[in-house]
Amino acid sequence: MSLEQFKNRNVGVQSYKTLDVGTPPKTGMEKFTQVVKRSVKGELFVGLGVVMKRMLEALFKNDMHTVKYPFEKMPISPRYRAIHEMLRLLESGNYRCIGCGLCEKICISNCISMETRYDENQRKEVSEYTINFGRCIFCGYCAEVCPELAIVHGQRYETASEQRAGFSLFEDMLTPIDQLNLQQEFDGFGAVSPNADDNIKQTPLAY
Amino acid sequence: MCTHNSINSGKEITLTIDGKVCKSTFGKTILEIARENDIYIPTMCYLTKVKSIASCRMCIVNVDGVDGAILSCQERATDGAVVTTNSEDLYAERQSIMKLYNVNHPLECGVCDKSGECELQNKTMEFGLAEQPFTARDQSRPVENWGYVSYDPALCIMCEKCVRVSTEITGDEALQLQFGGYSSKIVNTQIDKNYSTLGEAASVCPVGALVDTNFKYTTNAWELSKIPSACHHCSAGCQMNYEVKNDTIYRITNNFEFTSLCGAGRYGFDYANKGVTKDSEAFNRAVEAMKSAKSIIFSSQISNEEAYILQKIKELTGAKLISNEARAYQKFMQAYSSVTGKHLYNGNLKAISNSTAIIVLGSRVNDDAPMVKYHINMASKWNRARVAYMHPIEDVEMKNLVTQFMKYEAGSEEGVSALLVDTLLKDIDVPKDVRAFLDDLDIGNLSAGSNIGEEEFELLKKSMIKKRDFSLVIGADLYTHPRATQIAKIIALVEKYTNFNVVCIPPSSNAMGVSLICDLDDEADEYSVGYNAKANFTLSALGDGDLDMPALNQQEGTMVTIDKRLVPMNVAQPYGGYILNDIANAMGIGARYTIDYTKSLPLEKGFRGVEFDALDDYFTATGDEKRGYLLELHETPTEDNFEEIEELDGFDGAVIYNCNPKDQFSPFTNLCSTIKDESKLVGSSQFAIVTKLQDGDSVSFTVNGIEFKRLFRIEPSMKGTIAINPIYDMGLSTPLVSYYRFNKVQIIKEEKKED
Repeated sequence: MSLEQFKNRNVGVQSYKTLDVGTPPKTGMEKFTQVVKRSVKGELFVGLGVVMKRMLEALFKNDMHTVKYPFEKMPISPRYRAIHEMLRLLESGNYRCIGCGLCEKICISNCISMETRYDENQRKEVSEYTINFGRCIFCGYCAEVCPELAIVHGQRYETASEQRAGFSLFEDMLTPIDQLNLQQEFDGFGAVSPNADDNIKQTPLAY
Repeated sequence: MCTHNSINSGKEITLTIDGKVCKSTFGKTILEIARENDIYIPTMCYLTKVKSIASCRMCIVNVDGVDGAILSCQERATDGAVVTTNSEDLYAERQSIMKLYNVNHPLECGVCDKSGECELQNKTMEFGLAEQPFTARDQSRPVENWGYVSYDPALCIMCEKCVRVSTEITGDEALQLQFGGYSSKIVNTQIDKNYSTLGEAASVCPVGALVDTNFKYTTNAWELSKIPSACHHCSAGCQMNYEVKNDTIYRITNNFEFTSLCGAGRYGFDYANKGVTKDSEAFNRAVEAMKSAKSIIFSSQISNEEAYILQKIKELTGAKLISNEARAYQKFMQAYSSVTGKHLYNGNLKAISNSTAIIVLGSRVNDDAPMVKYHINMASKWNRARVAYMHPIEDVEMKNLVTQFMKYEAGSEEGVSALLVDTLLKDIDVPKDVRAFLDDLDIGNLSAGSNIGEEEFELLKKSMIKKRDFSLVIGADLYTHPRATQIAKIIALVEKYTNFNVVCIPPSSNAMGVSLICDLDDEADEYSVGYNAKANFTLSALGDGDLDMPALNQQEGTMVTIDKRLVPMNVAQPYGGYILNDIANAMGIGARYTIDYTKSLPLEKGFRGVEFDALDDYFTATGDEKRGYLLELHETPTEDNFEEIEELDGFDGAVIYNCNPKDQFSPFTNLCSTIKDESKLVGSSQFAIVTKLQDGDSVSFTVNGIEFKRLFRIEPSMKGTIAINPIYDMGLSTPLVSYYRFNKVQIIKEEKKED
């Protein structure tokens, strides 16, 4: 499924088809005849045959139709809202977060808290950043409001742990610097819209 | 605020603004009248407390019969004028002003400290500008760190507010405009002095160009909750807000349109007694100590309610109440009111700023009471006021506003006040006995003793001809003088027989409140309990006593300011320990909360019996102060009996003057990491010669039984043989030093350790 389809939230105009499922049996006699018909017709063996065929395909042709979770995982939609990730700038490896505090402000369950400071280069720097995952409702507002696409929802949906606090520090969420090349651009909430190019205006520079 | 002097000023006028008929008085600007009547005129550079700047042109209005737009912040309204504040043309004009303000303004609101409370942001939204339509070639404009404040020229919109505040209000005159078209900027001409008063200039900055360095980038404005309170570091009791997040004070802001703060007020907030828990054993010992105490020694930096509790304890146990600074002030004011017939002086700060001639006697006013200095500075800048500064030590920080410095000998304050009063009452009708007292003065002898020539007083007299409003500022040097009561009576003649606005600066934060509420005693007896003062058993908010107490930003209460106004203070920091009220309750003086006593403060001393929760704390749109209430003036019995002026032993040779630097007032300001001051003995090179000291020597000396160890520094701008010794850093001993501020001491030079 492409991203455009995900972003289409206008469900009203999608076309649905109704299947013809016939009429269900009403009297006891009708029900009895249906059971007898289905048993005698041998449909059961058709089903068993399909299963056998798939099993043989899986065993000898390596054509598996199930996923070996947890060794294998299905790709999930970019709109899925799992544990947050803090991204880095691809060129320099610096944090994308500029410490503007919008995520902290917009958070409806008040679970983000951050501290910032005036750093040696006279810039604003994030010194502390935590998300209380006991409170987080994964609404995605933080990712949507972030002007730098610094905080996003990642794909890490397995969040069973003894202490949810284990996910919540800035460093835990931050892309490890040695895995910068693996960092994926975020496609979910707050990502650049498909028609972003059309909306961009030229900066008025006279030089 | 501006004062306009004109023949017609005060005349009633009527004008129409946007169809609304407004009545006002002549002398006010159109903008002022519009604000009085809740009519909105947008402004960018207008600041009520300084004279109109007129740099933004946002406040333009149309007046019927006048071609073109006029500036409503400058133009005085005339009778019958019909004013339009908004039309399509005016809107377009204002919109283009906003377009120009936005030229190259960095789009970094995301990290800007001002975001959320930014005038430029607000007005850009208000005038519907979605983009920056103009631009100019940008240039490198690095951020400048000036110490207490940082300046970012790229964000500056050149509204001039900071320059005006620095000149007209705080008087440090550090900031100047550097014109150069697009490369115009604000320059700090006194960068090496690192004036903390620049915090006041930063507070009025409408954008993020001038911000407090310690606050910069620490949090967003909208995350902070504002807790209104009053600054209790000195007696000015200025309005301020603690801005708090997660139980931490991030900064102090104030209603900068109408009031100001000094450096200590703005940066001295980090003194709370933190991490205190209820130690019931220490508490029981405190209750026992309080029950058996023969005297209670305390600093007057406490709230009125606490003072009232101490008074109640005195009534219960008969313990003596000892607070030297408040006691001296109490005696001074009692003697003062025995002449004037009023229990308080008549003056206030606003009257000082409206004066055209001001005399300061007995106070190093820039250090003792910055707010008084601000108001003298306003008078100097707005009314070109004559300022006579009478003190034994010249103050370079006052140089640009003092017109006549009159140096007298330390210790001769009585003679000086007599000479001053004689000068001021020369051509005024006074009762016979007063005239006889003045005529009996041995002028020659007094002026020889005080070292002020008669011609200096003549010059003073001459300079006051043709002036209208006069102020006399009396400082703490006089209250602790051995002849204080006599001095008080002499000074009181000025209030009684002239139209002078007299202000007797309370010597420390709530000295006035304490002196009105408590029945104070002179000498302490053993066994003593101290409250923020060293004693046998010490209750301390400084964290080093036998039982912890909350600091003044951890409790509710009221204080009395120099304007004779009772103002409320609120809780900004949590406190988990016992308070004075708990001790009083354990002794059987019952009240649930400390502030239950607010309404019980003594009515006969001018308090009004208002509940704490009923006290207002705001300014109206036109700047009327609605904080707490003004104390009522009560009549007191009068008795005129003057003694002869006594000759004192001269203070020749090396003398030490107890005086804190301007950002330090008490051990509480000393706790604040944001105020950077070294405590050192500062003297002139002449002092160094007399005492055989060199710059950088370690010395020790004893003042009133307290031993000081200090580094000695020569200050090239000082003259004479009086050195300045700060006392703010002596912790619990500080309140014990509050005797006469000039002392002859034996200075012992400590041997330098040879490495």
